[in-house]
Amino acid sequence: MNGQQSKVLQISGLNVKVKGKHGTLALLQDIDLDLKRGQVLGLVGESGSGKTVTCHSIMQLFDPHQIMVEGSIRLHDRELNGLPEQEMRRIRGKEIALIMQNPISAFTPVYTIGVQFVETIRTHSDLTKKEAHELAVTSLASVNLPEPDKLMKQYPFQLSGGMLQRVMIAISMCLRPSVVIADEPTTALDVVNQLQVLRQLDRLRTECGTSILLISHDLGVISELADEVAIMQQGRIVEKADVFQLFDQPQHAYTKKLLNTRPTIPMNNQ
Amino acid sequence: MLLQVNGVTHTYRETSLFRRRVAKAPVLSNVSLTIEEGKCVGLLGTSGAGKSTLGKVILGLQAPQQGQVLFQGEDLYQASAHTRKRLRRDLQVVFQDCYSSVNPRMTAEQIIGEPLENYERLSVGEQKRRIGDLLEMVGLTPADMRKYPYQFSGGQLQRINIARAIALKPKLIVLDESVSSLDMVNQTLILDLFRELQSAFGLSYLFITHDIKAAYSISDALAVMEKGKMVEMCHDKNGIFTSEHPAVKSLVSSILPEHPRQRVLLSR
Repeated sequence: MNGQQSKVLQISGLNVKVKGKHGTLALLQDIDLDLKRGQVLGLVGESGSGKTVTCHSIMQLFDPHQIMVEGSIRLHDRELNGLPEQEMRRIRGKEIALIMQNPISAFTPVYTIGVQFVETIRTHSDLTKKEAHELAVTSLASVNLPEPDKLMKQYPFQLSGGMLQRVMIAISMCLRPSVVIADEPTTALDVVNQLQVLRQLDRLRTECGTSILLISHDLGVISELADEVAIMQQGRIVEKADVFQLFDQPQHAYTKKLLNTRPTIPMNNQ
Repeated sequence: MLLQVNGVTHTYRETSLFRRRVAKAPVLSNVSLTIEEGKCVGLLGTSGAGKSTLGKVILGLQAPQQGQVLFQGEDLYQASAHTRKRLRRDLQVVFQDCYSSVNPRMTAEQIIGEPLENYERLSVGEQKRRIGDLLEMVGLTPADMRKYPYQFSGGQLQRINIARAIALKPKLIVLDESVSSLDMVNQTLILDLFRELQSAFGLSYLFITHDIKAAYSISDALAVMEKGKMVEMCHDKNGIFTSEHPAVKSLVSSILPEHPRQRVLLSR
């Protein structure tokens, strides 16, 4: 869909191991993923298959004394793995944004939405407080949140899960990052809010050309938004294919099992 | 008729910081629902629609301000303590968050044994055998008896919760978002387990969820709530697709596709 098919994020040979009392344990083995501009890559797997570990290692969120991340993670030809903490802090939020599963725990409860929003913007740009505030209000309005001015003065616990998740998307949108990692963005939401959030993610990639790594165990979410899908099982990628190809002709036995066991509904009744 | 909810209205009372009464919109207003024996009713709605409050009212945990709940023909909130205890035996629940619905300092044996101790006086050996049987019924092994909750995965712990719920062979189980926090593999397995148990014991379920696909696959009838009101009751579950009510329509149109060819978002 985009003329420019340059690779934004390139992960190759990613191995993650955790040091324990009785030797090391592999969490991820030989993960290879490419993310092109404006592309949505779905990462599917059951709990414990290593989806979240993958996105945390991209963001370099692990303590290197306990968890070893080996392999290469390249963002625009820049190696992220092993980058000093200070450099990495400039990339997080600005270049790669993370949308977490539980929006309530992603905000601090003691500051208003506005304070947290403006802080994020000003950390990564030279805008004044006033300009940052205006940008925040416009981006809140752009994710269809009502009364953004009032919202800026509210605390996270005053909003519902769906609203807070959209605030998080607004924060990640306004800095126009090249990559957004959405880790189960809709699992905690009801179906109506789920569609809203997916619509915002879709806008993010069409309007800003952002690449999205969409982590989900819900195949409905994947078939709605993803261009390409990687299926994970026990720390490995067992199948990687175009979304249409994957749903039409699943190759791996595990993929077939996933597709055949999900609850279905006759959609043609609508 | 196993369960009959007649015109239940409820408002959570709230006092502000200075003890002023704050008027609130009712969580439930004039809600009625019936569940027949051996049937599963799916209760759908967005978050905040009052689904879980209705579940609590049915379980006898939240006395409604108006209306009555008849379980097996007896009013749950008017009955004597003795009758209530007898009725409660046939009324069980499985919640969404499996970790917070068990005591972390009790073993699986103690967790499942609790309802048995409350209602049935079994010898130590007999009780152990019953618990072993229950564990096998839900797809675990008797050896899991000695384990603590943290040693189980979410799916396994939800099975422990189910074993506790079926320990007394109840008539109705309220499933309040019981599969929502599980991944798709466990979700399917637990739904299959519910179906098996239903045919084995003639159980009835009230399946509270916002996941239409899961509700559709297990239920016989579907009910939809919005802002504390029951807006649609489809005794035939396919009726949900032809319903004219805007709340139902918005739910149905939010169902995510099963194949990328049927994408809902129109922006491409």
